[in-house]
Amino acid sequence: MNSIVDKAAAFDVRSWIRLEMMPHFLCPGCGHGMALRALLWALAELEADRDRLAVVSGIGCAGRLSAYVDANTFHVTHGRALAYATGLALARPDLTVVTILGDGDCLAIGGNHLIHACRRNLKITCLMLNNEVYGMTGGQVSPTTSAEMYTTTTPQGNAEPAFDACALAAAAGAGFVGREVTHHVPRLKELVKAGLSHPGFAFIEVLSDCTEIFGRKNELGSSAEMVMRQKSELRPSAYRDTVDTPFRPNQLPTGILSRNDRPEYGAAYRAAAAARRAGAAAMASAAGDPK
Amino acid sequence: MNAPDRPATRTSLRLLSGNHACALGAVAAGCRFFAGYPITPSSEVAERLSRLLPEVGGVFVQMEDELASMAAVIGASMGGVKALTATSGPGFSLKQENLGYAAGAEIPCVIVNVMRGGPSTGMPTRPSQADLMQARWGSHGDYPIIALAPASVREIHEQTIRAFALAETYRTPVVVLYDQVIAQLSETLELPRASDIPQVERRWASGPREHYRPYAPGDDGIPPMARPGSGYRVHTTGLHHSESGFPTQDPATVDRNLGRLLAKLERNREAIDAWQALWCEDAELLVVAIGISARASLQAVRLARARGVRAGLFRPITLWPFPEQALRAAAAGAKAVLVPELNDGQMRLEVERVLRAARVQGLHRSNGEPIAPAEIAARAEEMMKR
Amino acid sequence: MNDADLPLRGAPSAAPAAAREPVNVLIVGVGGQGVILVSKALAWLAQAHGFEVKQSEVHGMAKRGGSVFSHVRFGAQVWSPTIPRGEADVLVALEWAEGLRWLPYLKPDTGIFLADTKRIVPPFACLARRPGAPMRYSRETPAQVQEHVAEGYAIDATGMAEELGNERVSNVVLLGALSRALDFPEAQWERAVAEFVPKKTVAVNLEAFRQGREWIERSRLALPQAQAPAQPAASGSNCEVRLEITPGWCKSCDICVKLCPERCLRLNAERIAELAEPDKCTGCRLCEWLCPDFAIRVHLDPATAAAGEGQARP
Repeated sequence: MNSIVDKAAAFDVRSWIRLEMMPHFLCPGCGHGMALRALLWALAELEADRDRLAVVSGIGCAGRLSAYVDANTFHVTHGRALAYATGLALARPDLTVVTILGDGDCLAIGGNHLIHACRRNLKITCLMLNNEVYGMTGGQVSPTTSAEMYTTTTPQGNAEPAFDACALAAAAGAGFVGREVTHHVPRLKELVKAGLSHPGFAFIEVLSDCTEIFGRKNELGSSAEMVMRQKSELRPSAYRDTVDTPFRPNQLPTGILSRNDRPEYGAAYRAAAAARRAGAAAMASAAGDPK
Repeated sequence: MNAPDRPATRTSLRLLSGNHACALGAVAAGCRFFAGYPITPSSEVAERLSRLLPEVGGVFVQMEDELASMAAVIGASMGGVKALTATSGPGFSLKQENLGYAAGAEIPCVIVNVMRGGPSTGMPTRPSQADLMQARWGSHGDYPIIALAPASVREIHEQTIRAFALAETYRTPVVVLYDQVIAQLSETLELPRASDIPQVERRWASGPREHYRPYAPGDDGIPPMARPGSGYRVHTTGLHHSESGFPTQDPATVDRNLGRLLAKLERNREAIDAWQALWCEDAELLVVAIGISARASLQAVRLARARGVRAGLFRPITLWPFPEQALRAAAAGAKAVLVPELNDGQMRLEVERVLRAARVQGLHRSNGEPIAPAEIAARAEEMMKR
Repeated sequence: MNDADLPLRGAPSAAPAAAREPVNVLIVGVGGQGVILVSKALAWLAQAHGFEVKQSEVHGMAKRGGSVFSHVRFGAQVWSPTIPRGEADVLVALEWAEGLRWLPYLKPDTGIFLADTKRIVPPFACLARRPGAPMRYSRETPAQVQEHVAEGYAIDATGMAEELGNERVSNVVLLGALSRALDFPEAQWERAVAEFVPKKTVAVNLEAFRQGREWIERSRLALPQAQAPAQPAASGSNCEVRLEITPGWCKSCDICVKLCPERCLRLNAERIAELAEPDKCTGCRLCEWLCPDFAIRVHLDPATAAAGEGQARP
């Protein structure tokens, strides 16, 4: 059995990024790089046509990722990526539309757009990279900052409760909701693939690490330690089925968390419009009939 | 008037309100996407388009808010589809964020702003002309923009069509500004035949992909745009960018691109400027007005002439960039200039800037009542007595 | 020892010599291979000889492919159910890597290592372990292993079983090999085999047992201490692993260094990641996947033909 089928070898991330933009601007150890790899890997395995791939991103560290993808990329305004993507996806149903958002981008300034994108269920794959902090502006508290964590605007520790973005998306009606850690890149890739393959709106929360700002402020250790923590204590349910007992009770479940088969909005709209046109044509021909 | 000649061929007469004429004009111009949010007094534009667009294979979507509707319009246009949104003052304020993006990233789009009173919620059902400066300077930073100011239902139809032509040609947002009175005024008009309406298309990128630079100026300073799906995989950003489209902070590069951006309308002023000048040749008193105020001014000028005052009317149709040269020419013989407007002097500021030496007065009102022709005529006569 | 005391019919003629101290046999493999059958047969045989026997088995996830091991201890008196580290007299491995995993349990000076060269990649041990994928797997050659054991045998039991027409009897091939290490009479061993294997397969299992036993005999005659007839896990992989590192992209975050399961990476003087110990690299790709900077690319180049041919493969 000398012939080896190495599916992982088939994917070289360099063939999907804009080499002239490298090295990218992310801090050392930033989890967003792993998340971007998982997205590109998923697209590659689905053999996405990058000429017809549109990546729309907002503002912030996550927002800058679109510039590295060798596709049609749009780096738009803070919080509005889903609204831009809605226009793009409705106007151009032939495109595969992916958005990359940060946690503040998606849940704070863009929270309304998220809710309604979920409700509308238009075919968009939405990645929210949750690193619990506004990294690019220097480390302010975000809607997903865990309790008691220190940020530059929570000097006494965060007293606000954090959003459960997946519960929010599911409650708002998103067709597909999932969550994964960056540590488990192949698993994240599979989740993104499932999201990309879903006919409606797919919301995927990626638990990422801000090592340089959030990690340092809260003394969470080196990049490697933060990555290991994802596995050992942070959100163990990803590993629930691979070990005999969970490391600790599951806090944030991972994997595909909810899925429904509500109609995809774009297709539903086009079908209704086509029916309307057909009806109008029938009436016109009846009116034009001399009898 | 240097606006394009009205087409010779006409179809049947229609009774239409300004907002409905706007919707019909948009579809006639090839608009196939509308995103909006309900707001008085512009909602009829959305309502009409929600019926019209699906009939022609377009898309109407009512978004969750004004920001989102502006964003969706830009998104659709980035996809290569002519796109429109319509709103009023409070919504126009919210749209400024993404309008700035469209200006900076050079994404064509058309924004209709049916002006109502302000500040804030103001008087939703009353006319105003107080968004002139916001239309020019509403978003942060320096950017070029076109604003058109129709004064009748027929002109709303015509200028909406023209707005798409300008947006597509110059890769810029175009604001169509009119007030509540003509928005909801119904007038009889003849609509041009569809075949008489020129379809102006965006210039799309062509040639070898590897040589394409998304923001390299063409001959006229307007870079051809890459249509998603055509094989040019480019980056679009609201950050300052180089010709490659990627972000830059290099001062020389920013100077070059921003310089081109700010100059791109200036170097095409001949095609962009539009105005109407009536009885200006011998005018000793020039009235400068737009929209409903211009309609009152026209009657006022007639009244003043009947009483022996040589009055003339200058009406900017393209409000931004402001038609300075035409105004200077029209005001060449004027001893006094009167600017009646439904705000506290926004256009007067611009007229004063253009006509530095002339005696300029404003006739300002912001209480929701239009200015009557007799008031303008009386003020004109008074100015000439001094 | 008194044969008359044996409850077994047709009692064996001899018993292991070192029975005063418990004899410790550790049998390991993966789920589905028949580790338990081997240990039960041995326990039954020892019991039949009047020894106190303790057999404790742990079958991991109890799934096919999961790690399974069984401690068999017998002697005049046995207290602890499990074999302490460094105390196993014989380590029988039905799977190569499982054998290596348990090597520290073998007596350093006298322990006997009996291992099938069969390689089964455990599904949970490595992220890339899907069928046919290049595997993170032990790279030690049998020769290297034998340097660390008193007496070692790498036997292609699975291959022999396949030739007998039933791959599943490989465990009994190893039982045959084991029979040479423990001084019970051959006939009793065969009875134990017949007692535990499915009735329909008694014949083929007995043949497997004899072949395993003969293989050890031949090996001992030929080269008592260093048998490596089939170099199964010679490279541990079908490929040569090469890391392509883009120094200009590496931001020295250290994730690859710290998370490498084999710890074969390091940051060099310029704080750029480099492969410090290529021999230890198994090509698992974890560094490539976790590098946030896309600076690492793992290449699994096909191994040179000469090294790759003629070896037993799973």
